[in-house]
Amino acid sequence: MHASAPASNSVQLLYAQHHGWLQAWLGRRLGNAFDAADLAQDTFVRVLTAPESSPEKQRGWQLDEPRAYLTLIAKRLLANLYRRRSLEQAYLEALAQVPEAFSPSPEQRALLLETLQAVDAMLDGLAAPVRQAFLLAQLDGLGYAEIAAQLAVSERTVKRYMAQAMARCILLSA
Amino acid sequence: MGAHGQPLAVEAATISEAVALQAAEWFFLLRSGEAAERDRQRWTQWHDADPAHAMAWQKALRVGQTFEQLPPELARPALGRARRGVRQQRRTATRALAALLTVAPAGWLAWRHSPARDWLAEHRTATGERRSVRLADGTQLQLDTASAVDIDFGPHWRRIHLRTGAIHVETAPDPQAPPRPLVVDTAQGRLRALGTRFTVRQDGGHTRIAVFEGAVEARPVGAQGGVTVVQAGQQARMSGVVVAPVQPVGPLADGWTRGILHARDMRLADFAAELGRYRPGIVRCDPAVADLRISGTFQLRDTTPVLDSLPQALPVTVIYRTSWWVTLVAPGG
Repeated sequence: MHASAPASNSVQLLYAQHHGWLQAWLGRRLGNAFDAADLAQDTFVRVLTAPESSPEKQRGWQLDEPRAYLTLIAKRLLANLYRRRSLEQAYLEALAQVPEAFSPSPEQRALLLETLQAVDAMLDGLAAPVRQAFLLAQLDGLGYAEIAAQLAVSERTVKRYMAQAMARCILLSA
Repeated sequence: MGAHGQPLAVEAATISEAVALQAAEWFFLLRSGEAAERDRQRWTQWHDADPAHAMAWQKALRVGQTFEQLPPELARPALGRARRGVRQQRRTATRALAALLTVAPAGWLAWRHSPARDWLAEHRTATGERRSVRLADGTQLQLDTASAVDIDFGPHWRRIHLRTGAIHVETAPDPQAPPRPLVVDTAQGRLRALGTRFTVRQDGGHTRIAVFEGAVEARPVGAQGGVTVVQAGQQARMSGVVVAPVQPVGPLADGWTRGILHARDMRLADFAAELGRYRPGIVRCDPAVADLRISGTFQLRDTTPVLDSLPQALPVTVIYRTSWWVTLVAPGG
């Protein structure tokens, strides 16, 4: 209690001095006040829940450039938001192609989207050919030789890509 | 017996990048079907050497299964979408959002309850539904809750592909001569019926087989040539690599085919999980009450009265956050 009191005070200070500015900054990027308010809030939630070991927290949030730090977090959240929405857009477009008779129920749609978002987050940050190779194997059931031919790389490389992608999924899966 | 085996303790192990990579390499080697007996021995050594190895392996299987359940028709365009510029995304994204998000995100856990693929399969049941199907050869198939199968009868075999959930199979002699073998394929391997009545359940990273008449031959995908015969009165659990030693099966284990769940000294956590299969959404059991024991016969048609009756039998309280999200906790806890 004793140690954390000044820290949370400084977070309050950080909030009081920069929250309005951050929200406006996000509003300009998003063109949408609601999303901007959400992301600004999320940014401060990240600050509050930062691990004890983070250098910013250890310094009691006495930051030289608080706005640069806040926009760094906000940009990451922004990229997440765009990733989630672009997946959703692609998913809705794909759903529109499914014949009515096979169309999943609203719960199934939501659950499927949720799973796709989780998988997408796991694969995020993988190099494009690694991701592509992994999807060709997992979704289309292609063999290494076929994937190698499609991506114009060796089978050895495909094998390495597969292990790399799976290892990432293992590390990031719940 | 008693309260033992807290599986949560294992979660404490952390997986390093190197271990994740090893698990990934083993996963693809064993799944390729090219693994030799020597490889499998080395895999067993690796797997048993460290709890973190076992945990990474479980996660690999789970990831593999997640992909298997994704309908490629939808997953391919969604996951393989071209990376668009941020500016362009911004314009389309805001409009797209309103249409969809109706249900609270329930995440990975709920995924099990509503496999995406069931609506693309040939025969399927919704959560809570059960259905009988008579196949072309006279074989009787019963689908349990949230299950999906594809039927593929060809000149050389009669094949049932269990995509998700559980089935009860009562084989009929093949009208064709020579008779074609009847097989059930799961994510973990192939089961060959030897004139018989049995159930198969696709469960996490495993296939569970219980035989009531005749026998079933089990062959995991990763086992070269090795088969295990499960006889009447026995049950077995098959991973993608091995069949765990067979055990006796209770005569009431096929109760679900009659809409009944028989529990005998069952852990409450297992009971909740079992009941949860017949209910949309999630039934959670607080660790504080997980090891309570329950016995009895319960109908599966409507699980709400079953849940509501639990406080009369056990020191638990049933909390409905929504009808989709039920939690069993200690009274006052």
